[in-house]
Amino acid sequence: MIQEVRVTVKDGIPDKKGEDVLYEINHALGIKNVEKVRTARVYRFEGIGKDDAAYLAEKLLAEDVFQFYRINGPVIEGAEVILEVAYKPGVMNPEAASLIKSAADLGISGLVAADSCWEYGFYGKEITGAEIERIVNSLLVNATVEYVVKNPPTTLIIHGTPGPTKIIPIREMSDEELIELSRDKLFLSLEEMKVIQNYFTGIQRDPTDCEIETIAQTWSEHCVHKTFKARLVVDGIEKKPLLKRLKDATEEISHPLVLSAFVDNSGVMEFYDGMAICGKVETHNSPSAIEPYGGAMTGSGGVFRDIVGTGQGAKVVASTDMFCFAPPHTPREHIPPGCLHPHYLLRRVVAGVRDYGNRMGIPTNNGSVHFHRDFRAKPSVIVGAYGILPAAGCRKGKPEAGDLVVALGGRTGRDGIHGATFSSGEMTDRTIEVNSSAVQIGHPIEEKRMFDAILAARDEGLIRAITDCGAGGFASAVGEMGSETGARIALDRAPLKYTGLSPWEILLSESQERMILAVAPEHVNRLFEICRGYNVEATVLGEFTGDHYFTATYEGRVVMNLDMEFLHNGLPQRLLKASWKRPCHAEPGEATTVNWSGLYSQVLSHLNVCSKEPIVRLYDHGVQGTNALPPFGGINGDGPNDAVILTPILGKPYGMIISHGLNPVLNTIDPYYGSLWAATEAASNAVACGANPNEMVLIDNFIWPFPDEELLGALDMAVDACVDFARATGMPFISGKDSLSSTYRGKDGTVIKIPPVLCISAFGRIPDVSRSVSTDFKETGSHIVLVGYRNPNEMAGSVYYEILGATGNNLPRINMRLLKKVLETVYGAINSGKLLACHDISEGGLAASLAEMCFGGDIGAAIRIPGDEKAENFFFNETAGCFLAEVPAVLNPAEIFGEVPYKVIGKTVPGRFITADQSGQPLFAVDLEELKEAWLKPMTEVFR
Amino acid sequence: MKKPRVCIMKTDGINCDEETYYAFVKAGAECRIVHVNQLRKGEEKLASYQILALPGGFSYGDDVHSGKILAVELTSFLKDQLKEFVNAGKLIIGICNGFQVLVRTGLLPEQNLDCIKTTLMVNDSGHFECRWVNLLVEHNHCVFTKGLEGTVISVQVAHGEGKFYTDPATLQEIENRGQVVFRYAGTDGRPTVLYPYNPNGSLNAIAGICDSTGRIMGMMPHPERYVEKTQHPNWRRLPGNTLPHGMAIFKNAVEYALQL
Repeated sequence: MIQEVRVTVKDGIPDKKGEDVLYEINHALGIKNVEKVRTARVYRFEGIGKDDAAYLAEKLLAEDVFQFYRINGPVIEGAEVILEVAYKPGVMNPEAASLIKSAADLGISGLVAADSCWEYGFYGKEITGAEIERIVNSLLVNATVEYVVKNPPTTLIIHGTPGPTKIIPIREMSDEELIELSRDKLFLSLEEMKVIQNYFTGIQRDPTDCEIETIAQTWSEHCVHKTFKARLVVDGIEKKPLLKRLKDATEEISHPLVLSAFVDNSGVMEFYDGMAICGKVETHNSPSAIEPYGGAMTGSGGVFRDIVGTGQGAKVVASTDMFCFAPPHTPREHIPPGCLHPHYLLRRVVAGVRDYGNRMGIPTNNGSVHFHRDFRAKPSVIVGAYGILPAAGCRKGKPEAGDLVVALGGRTGRDGIHGATFSSGEMTDRTIEVNSSAVQIGHPIEEKRMFDAILAARDEGLIRAITDCGAGGFASAVGEMGSETGARIALDRAPLKYTGLSPWEILLSESQERMILAVAPEHVNRLFEICRGYNVEATVLGEFTGDHYFTATYEGRVVMNLDMEFLHNGLPQRLLKASWKRPCHAEPGEATTVNWSGLYSQVLSHLNVCSKEPIVRLYDHGVQGTNALPPFGGINGDGPNDAVILTPILGKPYGMIISHGLNPVLNTIDPYYGSLWAATEAASNAVACGANPNEMVLIDNFIWPFPDEELLGALDMAVDACVDFARATGMPFISGKDSLSSTYRGKDGTVIKIPPVLCISAFGRIPDVSRSVSTDFKETGSHIVLVGYRNPNEMAGSVYYEILGATGNNLPRINMRLLKKVLETVYGAINSGKLLACHDISEGGLAASLAEMCFGGDIGAAIRIPGDEKAENFFFNETAGCFLAEVPAVLNPAEIFGEVPYKVIGKTVPGRFITADQSGQPLFAVDLEELKEAWLKPMTEVFR
Repeated sequence: MKKPRVCIMKTDGINCDEETYYAFVKAGAECRIVHVNQLRKGEEKLASYQILALPGGFSYGDDVHSGKILAVELTSFLKDQLKEFVNAGKLIIGICNGFQVLVRTGLLPEQNLDCIKTTLMVNDSGHFECRWVNLLVEHNHCVFTKGLEGTVISVQVAHGEGKFYTDPATLQEIENRGQVVFRYAGTDGRPTVLYPYNPNGSLNAIAGICDSTGRIMGMMPHPERYVEKTQHPNWRRLPGNTLPHGMAIFKNAVEYALQL
């Protein structure tokens, strides 16, 4: 029998969760009939009696100071409707293990299973059934992982019987049957399916389900990057494959600080004192599109594992997040069937990143959010992580025959099956329905203790090689690690969350918080001892063999026996055609009279310019005590900085600087210059606070619509831009990832493509963080100097043009001949202590940067617009690679910036106004208070 | 000179152990990060230390209530050791999650291991929040704030469940006995209930309390995140000789422990 304990707050104590839900019901859904919401926690225990349940309630579940409880009875009374929302059976509730642990600590015996969930009581005489249904579907339940409990469960134990290993008769299949086999599951092309068919015809047998699934995930776009490795014919001429171009540029630059590029789970560069720093940026678009909370969590969890899985193990020191969504107030009827509303997506993705990073104790301190209506097809959810490790251990060893395959961390469940193949497919109206098992709830505490154990094992030299169990689960991790030796694993040894998994499910499950280690047999006992000390489960799954086959057994029977050579090299190289045609965008009409304070506020309240502080405050950016330049600073703590500076070795002045840049809308005008802009923005953000451009490296992330000939042409140009940027600045790419499936196809023929996203992340080192600056103006009377080359007439893609209702065609073209010198000059000025503040220019132009510097310093500015420039262009041009610098009144800007393009454009002044004049005529005086209100409003509304 | 020994407690989900370690080492202590499993197994004894530090984080995921699962573990398995530690006149500091653990063991406010009289609830804002706040240091007998009384210090908060709450009688007792150590203060340095200066809506703006001896202290903000100049968000604006505000707390503890 199951004992139920319900807990809620006493009368007179605010029910915060209830208040939040009510606010959303009233505001987000516009339902006014609900007057009050009460919530309660419901705990269920199987195997114990009522007295024990009462004891647990007293000692563990309810705190008498502010709560009360009842056993097997209601605590919410008088509500019109009461309903309970729980995780679906099989979705692991991370709290269950804590309940069981604590019950044991309290001396309760006999408990076999526990669970917890939420109960909601709705008050209001006029509430209709339809309204409740809307509340449930839009706010309370994500049907992918949760459900409304209609009948209380009779048992909490999940039973099941594993299905048999199936033989797939691929040799006899017609083309239609091959396509059917691939659809919604394998996501391979007919050509690829035929290669598999031919292979098995050749070896005269049919594959098992384990084998075909392992091949499909190894060959998935997500894992193998077929497009980036394809032969590419651009406008009839064959060019080098995309990935090769990036790698060749890195080799050519041959940067002395780069320790490992493109070969490991993250890229590594030298730091100081024998240490190295590493970075990796990942996307988690597909899972986040259907279950944003779980999707974002597992995105963070995955990229953190990439860091800890670098070399022989690294410590994660920072997390970053870059998101692209449709505007949060997009009308519901504009959201295509099968897609979730952006308001919900944004809030839930932020919550996922928050809960994973905060609980792991990893500071989330750099990021951005971009909005464009076409991201309603699929959001872009980009998460990065950075780490520190001993330089001597920055390369992993190769597993040797006889080394053990050790699985560490969480148990394997049915969650996350088909994640790798699913991520490679497009969004359709069927996506949510068919792929619901591809997401799960992350368990950061499991990951944290696993990392603690791994770093302890690393310090004792117990790890030969390590990799993360990400997409493709054991199949991918073991298959990749053993690609040169062969590996044999016993699937029935894997610890499971519940019984009933078939062998192929164990092999392919993407259950989070698991790592695979190659460990020499003599080290395994010590490794297990360390793991026990940290409450981490460790299991020997098998061994690396030397026979060059990937073999899996289940209860003694061989269920997979694949030639590593075919698995890793059997996929035919694709031959793809690319051709980009320049689109013609509408130009804005000539604006007549300008209401300057209105226009300035409008630009600052644009979603791509407005303050993201309400999001940033939800993330712990100070944990680890390393932050030397936080996301927001200045007198009132609301001035945004351009990058983050960390001191990852406490007590040392060494700085690690992390930044990024992206601008999807420019890529719809010209992918080459749009991509140059993104890379320039990433570098400028870092340099603006003091990074040395000669000691920086880059990471690329391409998030593209499904690449047809046209979009492949765009991709070709974007990669060329990256290569040109790297060559011109000497900053090499050392890691990267692509995700080429962000197209939506509806049943009615609707096709929506996201604007192509290239996110460039940059990181680097400086020897002393005290030689760095923030963006807030420090004193009155300083020179305000615009540094860098720009053509103010290049306005296409700007926020200002969007306000005028057009995109335009003449976009900012970064001058690559001058850029390096500009970056070095700004760095030199900061490093020699000549600047009081510096801020780079991006969305919203000079106007936005200037206002932010004023907000941070609580200081006004008086600006003189050059007589020959159009005032709107002067203020709202968005050319990256330009900076606003605060130079003390006593210094001469010409002596600092004389070798690069610069203009002294005004002074910092007392008071709370930004004023501008041109040719002696006053143009405007806008109140900072008014501007700030406009700038803060959009995200404050979404995040309250 | 012999250094006092600090036991920095660790378990699943505790994540501010390394910076707490650093702060105590900088203050002149000898530290060890001790997993609760080691204490349960007897590999480590609290008796070998003079200071016990419960760092921030999300012990056991903050499941059920923040800090609760660890508090239950401590009171179930280490009750005698804790009593002995406290009776020997030694020091305990709980920061953020550690404060939550201290109130849920009953060590605060009254060293009563069976009795929970105060709590830390979900912030009035309803969500986790990370920001810098001002704290007014009260005049009392707290060992950790000796010499800081009456000053306003700047520290970071990072929590979702930090609203100090109790019944009116207990609140009065805590006030009467001078057990309030820190109060959230506005820009004028005076205690405030206004958001965001008081980031969670704590009663009487309480950010930290101690027991009646002044040797057990818990606080929601993170002094260990301000023991280096560059950890302050506006260090570039501060006078060059500004001392990091969190440091005195650790130094006071070390100096006191030297006398033990």
